[in-house]
Amino acid sequence: MYDVCIIGSGAGGSPIAYELSHAGFSVIVLEKGKNYREEDFNKDELAVCRRDFFTPNLADEQHVINQRAEDGAISRHVGSENDWSFWNGSMVGGSSNLMSGYFHRMKPNDFKLLSVYGAIKGANVADWCISYEELEPYYEKAERIIGVSGEVVKHKFLEPRSTPNFPHAKLEESGVTKWFDKACVSLNYESIPTPRAILSTSKDGRNGCSYSNFCGSYGCATGAKGSARAALLQKCDAKIVTEAFVYKLESDAKKITKAYYYDDNLTTHTVEAKIFVLAAQAIESSRLLLNSKNRYFPHGIANNSNQVGRNLIFSAGGSGSGRFNFEKLSQEQQKELMQTGVFFNRSLQQWYEYEAGEKKRKGGTIDFLFEHQNIIPRVKREFYDDEENIIWGEALANKIHKRLTTSRVLSFEVFNDWLPTDDCFVSVDDEVKDKFHMPVGVINLSGHKHDLEVGEYLAKKAVKVLREMGAEEIHSSISSSPPPNLVAGGCRFGANPQTSVLDKNCKAHELENLYITDASFMPTGGSVPYTWTIYANSFRVAEVIKKHLA
Amino acid sequence: MILNSRRIFLKTALFGGAVLVMYGATVFGAVSPMQTMALVQEDLFPHAKSLGIKTEAYLTLILSHSKVTPKEKDFLRNGVQWLNEEAVKMYKKMYSNLSESERQAVLKSIAKYKWGEKWINKMLTYIMEATFSDEIYGVCKNSARAAWLKFETGYPHPKEAYL
Repeated sequence: MYDVCIIGSGAGGSPIAYELSHAGFSVIVLEKGKNYREEDFNKDELAVCRRDFFTPNLADEQHVINQRAEDGAISRHVGSENDWSFWNGSMVGGSSNLMSGYFHRMKPNDFKLLSVYGAIKGANVADWCISYEELEPYYEKAERIIGVSGEVVKHKFLEPRSTPNFPHAKLEESGVTKWFDKACVSLNYESIPTPRAILSTSKDGRNGCSYSNFCGSYGCATGAKGSARAALLQKCDAKIVTEAFVYKLESDAKKITKAYYYDDNLTTHTVEAKIFVLAAQAIESSRLLLNSKNRYFPHGIANNSNQVGRNLIFSAGGSGSGRFNFEKLSQEQQKELMQTGVFFNRSLQQWYEYEAGEKKRKGGTIDFLFEHQNIIPRVKREFYDDEENIIWGEALANKIHKRLTTSRVLSFEVFNDWLPTDDCFVSVDDEVKDKFHMPVGVINLSGHKHDLEVGEYLAKKAVKVLREMGAEEIHSSISSSPPPNLVAGGCRFGANPQTSVLDKNCKAHELENLYITDASFMPTGGSVPYTWTIYANSFRVAEVIKKHLA
Repeated sequence: MILNSRRIFLKTALFGGAVLVMYGATVFGAVSPMQTMALVQEDLFPHAKSLGIKTEAYLTLILSHSKVTPKEKDFLRNGVQWLNEEAVKMYKKMYSNLSESERQAVLKSIAKYKWGEKWINKMLTYIMEATFSDEIYGVCKNSARAAWLKFETGYPHPKEAYL
């Protein structure tokens, strides 16, 4: 029997594996995907991005998506029939291998959204049952162990820090950041260098960034990116079983007794452990619990209060961009614009909270970045003329050449809270099964109109910066489309077992030995990408599990 | 190099059969979908040839890929039929028997239909994928496309074909 069995090897599970195995406990990690190391990663756009090499084929594994319209009508979409994927990265280290590594901490008020900003009609806003101050030491720990580079600058919403600066110097930046900073000065905006989970210099056998010009969506060939695999699993001796799909948890009234998994030949195996940690990504963790019914838990493990799967959230917001054309730039500026490899790395958090009439309203974060260097989407965008007619032949060749060699697009991404509601939740499907013959997860989608209002407010600020910088063809798009790589909730933590699945320590209220440490625990998501918070919380729970086992 | 005989066999199985072209209620003739698509690709983006891109070879590779769905393959095959039916309607000839200017006229005509625009977009997408594919797939010389767009691909390059 193992001390700890962890299901899922991403940012939620790996800190537990790292900490517990270093503390001398026996740890087994069950990972559905394969194991890839630095030498396996490359920048093959066709395989990695066009054909989603690191995610399952939707014919084998998929989700059903129930989309709720404003009038309450629900449209059902079967993932494989609609080419709608919610997979992010099935491999050791999970989607942290493929992240861009934009690392922002949540702010103190994110932990008390209800108390500070008040209830919002139609939303299940709740305060967290821990404070920023309780999580801060683990943000710092994640920063140090995972490796965050950047530069702390004072700004209106800088969160309190126990260390003065990031452990790694900031990455090399594009000269265009100077244009951005200048525009912000004239607008009286506070420009912030974006912290990144990317090493600027070598550390603990991981190489510093090679500035390969292709980062997000790709695995890192140097080990600089702070993936759960490179930073944690390759630095500990936890046993990792790959191609192990956990399809059922077995329990008695108080404890998980076994995890059942299929190997790639569909042969069943079981694992027994003193503690089970579930971290399969928010949607899949709820699905596993709901698929694990028994006489003690007839609605699914840890679900006697009917809370599993509820309050699913994503990151709300959207994106936008503007184009810089050579015609309006000096030769020096043209050179700066076309410099590749280096990062843009600028953010705005000035409206993390803002006034809306008499009330304070929670805002969010805007990250700026150059359009992804993947060339095929950039070329595809030129398939149409100004009248939206498709073009080909010489006209197309000339347009592609001009646009790609004499202009470049600067993009922005808006992150704000996706309010939890009764209509956004995970369930399992009665009809569609995956290749393991298990009911697939159903993503019941619904956005709150408040999210769009906040997103629009922030996007307007971003557009102002682009305009001030001299960009053209500026546009923005705020919508309630869920980003599949920014998903949380479903097993929220809280003090009341009737309204939450997990207690303060992310242990299931109803079970003595089940912890959930992916983003499922989050009752609200903050207005930043989640990964740093997932890492930090998992390091926090690791301390609890150590005490539990002692 | 991944363009091995096994994949070519797969291509034959999926796109090797002829497509029947109708003229009204009667059969006008039959065409090879791969040959038609290869010719359309030449007509849509002749620049690929000057860059030394083997767009037909890429079609052979990608149309046997597990993540190109049956629905997408059906659409491509149907597009070949509809394109030829448009050619027959306009010139009483199959697409491949038309002059260059006549073929361009057929393409302009189908671009006005929703399916036609989507089908051309799909063809162009495959051309661009071929143009910017890694050398490991054997359909493109890296230096040619790099010189054209002053584009530097990401490093490292694949050591084995993941597609």
